[in-house]
Amino acid sequence: MAPPAQSQRSPSPSQPSGKSEVTDLKTQLRQLAGSRAPGVDDSKRELFKKVISYMTIGIDVSSLFGEMVMCSATSDIVLKKMCYLYVGNYAKGNPELALLTINFLQRDCKDEDPMIRGLALRSLSSLRVENLVEYLVGPLGSGLKDNNSYVRMVAVMGVLKLYHISAATCVDADFPATLKHLMLHDPDTQVVANCLSALQEIWSSEASTSEEASREKETLISKPVIFYLLNRIKEFSEWAQCLLLELVAKYVPADSNEIFDIMNLLEDRLQHANGAVVLATIKVFLQLTLSMADVHQEVYERIKAPLLTLVSSGSPEQSYAVLSHLHLLVLRAPYIFSSDYKHFYCQYNEPSYVKKLKLEMLTAVANETNTYEIVTELCEYAANVDIPIARESIRAVGKIALQQYDVNAIVDRLLQFLEMEKDYVTAEALVLVKDLLRKYPQWSHDCIAVVGNISSKNVQEPKAKAALIWMLGEYSQDMNDAPYILEGLTENWDDEHSAEVRLHLLTAVMKCFFKRPPETQKALGAALAAGLADFHQDVHDRALFYYRLLQYNVSIAERVVNPPKQPVSVFADTHSSEIKDRIFDEFNSLSVVYQKPSYMFTDKEHRGPFEFSDELGNLSIGAEATNDVVRANRVEANDQDLLLSTSEKEESRGASNNGSAYSAPLYDASSVSAAASQAQSDSLISNLEVAGPQASFAIDDLLGLGLPAAPAPPPLKLNSRAVLDPATFQQKWRQLPISVSQEHSLNPQGVAALTAPQALLRHMQSHSIQCIASGGQSPNFKFFFFAQKAEESSIYLVECKINTSSAKAQITIKVDDQNTSQEFSTLFLSALSKFGFP
Amino acid sequence: MPVAASAIYFLNLRGDVLINRLYRDDVGGNMVDAFRTHIMQTKELGTCPVRQIGGCSFFYMRISNVYIVIVVSSNANVACAFKFVVEAVTLFKSYFGGAFDEDAIRNNFVLIYELLDEIMDFGYPQNLSPEILKLYITQEGVRSPFSSKPTDKPVLNATLQVTGAVGWRREGLVYKKNEVFLDIVESVNLLMSSKGSVLRCDVTGKVLMKCFLSGMPDLKLGLNDKIGLEKESQLKSRPAKSGKTIELDDVTFHQCVNLTRFNSEKTVSFVPPDGEFELMKYRITEGVNLPFRVFPTIKELGRTRMEVNVKVKSVFGAKMFALGVVIKIPVPKQTAKASFRVTSGRAKYNAAIDCLVWKIRKFPGQTEPTLSAEVELISTMAEKKSWTRPPIQMEFQVPMFTASGLRVRFLKVWEKSGYNTVEWVRYITKAGSYEIRC
Repeated sequence: MAPPAQSQRSPSPSQPSGKSEVTDLKTQLRQLAGSRAPGVDDSKRELFKKVISYMTIGIDVSSLFGEMVMCSATSDIVLKKMCYLYVGNYAKGNPELALLTINFLQRDCKDEDPMIRGLALRSLSSLRVENLVEYLVGPLGSGLKDNNSYVRMVAVMGVLKLYHISAATCVDADFPATLKHLMLHDPDTQVVANCLSALQEIWSSEASTSEEASREKETLISKPVIFYLLNRIKEFSEWAQCLLLELVAKYVPADSNEIFDIMNLLEDRLQHANGAVVLATIKVFLQLTLSMADVHQEVYERIKAPLLTLVSSGSPEQSYAVLSHLHLLVLRAPYIFSSDYKHFYCQYNEPSYVKKLKLEMLTAVANETNTYEIVTELCEYAANVDIPIARESIRAVGKIALQQYDVNAIVDRLLQFLEMEKDYVTAEALVLVKDLLRKYPQWSHDCIAVVGNISSKNVQEPKAKAALIWMLGEYSQDMNDAPYILEGLTENWDDEHSAEVRLHLLTAVMKCFFKRPPETQKALGAALAAGLADFHQDVHDRALFYYRLLQYNVSIAERVVNPPKQPVSVFADTHSSEIKDRIFDEFNSLSVVYQKPSYMFTDKEHRGPFEFSDELGNLSIGAEATNDVVRANRVEANDQDLLLSTSEKEESRGASNNGSAYSAPLYDASSVSAAASQAQSDSLISNLEVAGPQASFAIDDLLGLGLPAAPAPPPLKLNSRAVLDPATFQQKWRQLPISVSQEHSLNPQGVAALTAPQALLRHMQSHSIQCIASGGQSPNFKFFFFAQKAEESSIYLVECKINTSSAKAQITIKVDDQNTSQEFSTLFLSALSKFGFP
Repeated sequence: MPVAASAIYFLNLRGDVLINRLYRDDVGGNMVDAFRTHIMQTKELGTCPVRQIGGCSFFYMRISNVYIVIVVSSNANVACAFKFVVEAVTLFKSYFGGAFDEDAIRNNFVLIYELLDEIMDFGYPQNLSPEILKLYITQEGVRSPFSSKPTDKPVLNATLQVTGAVGWRREGLVYKKNEVFLDIVESVNLLMSSKGSVLRCDVTGKVLMKCFLSGMPDLKLGLNDKIGLEKESQLKSRPAKSGKTIELDDVTFHQCVNLTRFNSEKTVSFVPPDGEFELMKYRITEGVNLPFRVFPTIKELGRTRMEVNVKVKSVFGAKMFALGVVIKIPVPKQTAKASFRVTSGRAKYNAAIDCLVWKIRKFPGQTEPTLSAEVELISTMAEKKSWTRPPIQMEFQVPMFTASGLRVRFLKVWEKSGYNTVEWVRYITKAGSYEIRC
């Protein structure tokens, strides 16, 4: 077929609209429509092909609708298919014209050839025109009863399509029940599989409104259904097996015998040639054995080989999909994979997305026995031509260094990186050396000797520059030139675009000043003056803060800015364990590839991190130190609105400029909140409450100060990572007496937010209260929560019944340690009452 | 929910749409534009095959000069989606007779639409088996096999097969000469350090089969793998015959293989599909026989000259030989010219890939040809930056050799009519990623 090629390759003037061609086609189709001459089908085919090819490249050929329908009276199956394709594409946009097709499609649904019946039914259900659904119900009903499995298979999907066009019509016709019957009785496995997909979709979406549907949804994962399907699994196509295994993974077996039965039945699926089946089987195994620690570990051992095979076979895209899952498992149980580290070595020509995952896995599996080899291998990649990968591998070396006890060899290598004289290598290595020194100050001597030789002119990246400056400040007593280098950097203050670097420079100059006052005095003066004049709010504030500290008392200032430091033992993890567990629950889906739970990328409100942070940014005082000028301006504009009258503001600016006696209003979080409470509505305050802790944390971090947490710790602290298995919960619930039982009214926001139980679960989890079971439908929900006292084994159990129509919550609490029951109840209620605020 | 696709697009390298098929309404119609502006026209292309844009996720794969893009809006099953694309491409190839590229798509777009309709419905994969689809979708567009018109084909079973489970073979096949061709194809992956120690080495192998057998034959394949042999010796209660046994790290089989019987009796028994298929895949990491060792010495003499000496030793039997041996030795970008002395084959400098390329068409076993080259570099004004040496890469094919040592011990064919069959077995070892650092 040449036409699409021609019209694409040579953009003739008529190409964009293709109007003249369309008119041509119209006349030709009309001529053929009534003709019964021999060979007319062949000419029709050529014309139809042209129409479809125009349609594909985006030329609007909907004006041919009438002619196409006229030509559709044919016994040629290929012609029919092309016609169906055309109709399916344009019916939605032309509902009136679609009516024209109903007639011939309905006729075809009764054709003697099952193939035609099936095709017609598929097209009929793909019209996607809501006011035509009445014509669909009849053919679908007879299609489901057809004696040919092809037609039944199409009809089942048709029911699902109908549901998406008009859910009410589908449910009123009682199709779900018919599908359920077919699923359990049809001899053809593809029909069964399609029933399963359709019912899962229909009942999941009905479940939010109908109690019956949610019961039906539960029966899908009940023992009889699961076992019936499992016994037929070998008859299913590979794709249907994936579907079924996904369902089995949700099943909760009654006892361990069932678990082993299922695993024995499915073990050979691990040898299936289709990687998707293997992954789905792995998911079943992992989910089933979650509560049996030793078996769970054996499962890891068992699935290792199939996973490694999948990684090394197939296209890079496929192995990426598998590697993402392997990556997840490796991070969960690195010790199991530590002897397989060679499988994670990168090949030279592998795409970088594969290499990146492999590097992370190499980092994770490093232990005492294999560190030397892994680090040697990583050092090879540092010289890689692919710069992002080279950077990643240097970071990986650093991470391993931070994990290990014996860092001797690694430090040597990092220092070698510094001598490689490649800008990006130096930059990454500097950041690492900084982190390393924070954890192992005993290495400072070796490191500082090398770092001292690096010219700050060769370091341009903000992160690296900040790291270098931090080291200059921290170890200024060991580096002869430190004050002079810092002085040089201060002189170029205005050329420094990164606020992060300027912040670090301020702090470093301060530290250096306390250690070597005479040499640094000049630099300190210059830095403070420059800082006070800085347009970036955070830099300005910090300069001001230091200035005042010094003014107040130099020795106290020293204690604040340059206290003796404890080595950092554990660096903060980027992912909370809750998120990791959620990703694990969604094994074999996109979540694993994106490394975030599905609600973060499928729910609208989580989709863009920017929308969210923008709101926060308006109120929090720079939750993060960015050098984003727009952000800084906004905060400035905001403070104008909220805090100061214009004149006051000018005054403060003036004061900061000449750096003399100072009387500007104190700019801190509390005053913001005070002002905000006057100016803004209640909901904004609650916003601020959310932002508050973050903001203060950010400031702590920015200053690099090891200040003790300012407020007294709350009397009762909960363990945020508490775990409890359902059996223990049940046992304890039976044993313990009721400590607190009361009714509590919910605020309207909370009620409104409780559309599904999950919303509350997530909220309570953020307060270290975990949910072990939940259920119910609007208006009645029931939850079982538990919590654990921090650093103690004492457990709190809660039963919480919520009625959303009366906005009441009935709460029953049982505790191990009766002394703290009241405290916990207060804590629980306060957490509950915060629910529903954004 | 394992929805595999809301929409599928085929695009050429310029971003023109070749095929678009929308399966579900949950993604918008302008997805191609999103793909073009956010992926194709940016540096992102090729950095990651899964990308999120707005509320949709895009999975894409490049196959020859075509991009196949899958769009989903839900939390889809990625592995399933990629596998679907790969299988679909195999299906298209079997229809077009080998090639899958822009021209083949343009020439067969109606057929592709027909197939896309059959292999996926509303985002759920349906039947992708070429054997079955070919029964009722043909390029000639004949009536389907269910047609009530009398045909000479046995149609009764076809009805079952369109959707049924025994999807890989139809009954009533007759061949005048019953033949089976078995190909064992291995690819060796090697990563060797500059000091000559093996960092990583494994073999991935495939057993490919071509069957021209009448009726419904039962086949049994015996290999010299450890588990199979041990099992056999237990059954016969006598020690296994001496001789090399090998240990397979992991095996996967075509759906026709009876996995229960493999697990209990450790024999590979199956009813094969008609024609060509991949019977099994395996992976081996222990006891790999490397067909070639490479000994490079590369000296940088000052700023403008380099001396490269490479010796390649073939370690397989003297009666065997390798074909199509290519050794690529990387040199710096600023290479001006190179002069060679080789004891076998031909060598030249290829500036496009910054490599000295040494080709030896026929490479006998137990020999060690050498290459020595003098490379002249253009002296650059830039500061001397140490040249990071990419690894030496090698390509080859060694017929009648398996790097794993795997051998077929027997292949039994049993059919109730009791005909005789001719079995052909071939072995070949190819280079996968064969890298030697220098």
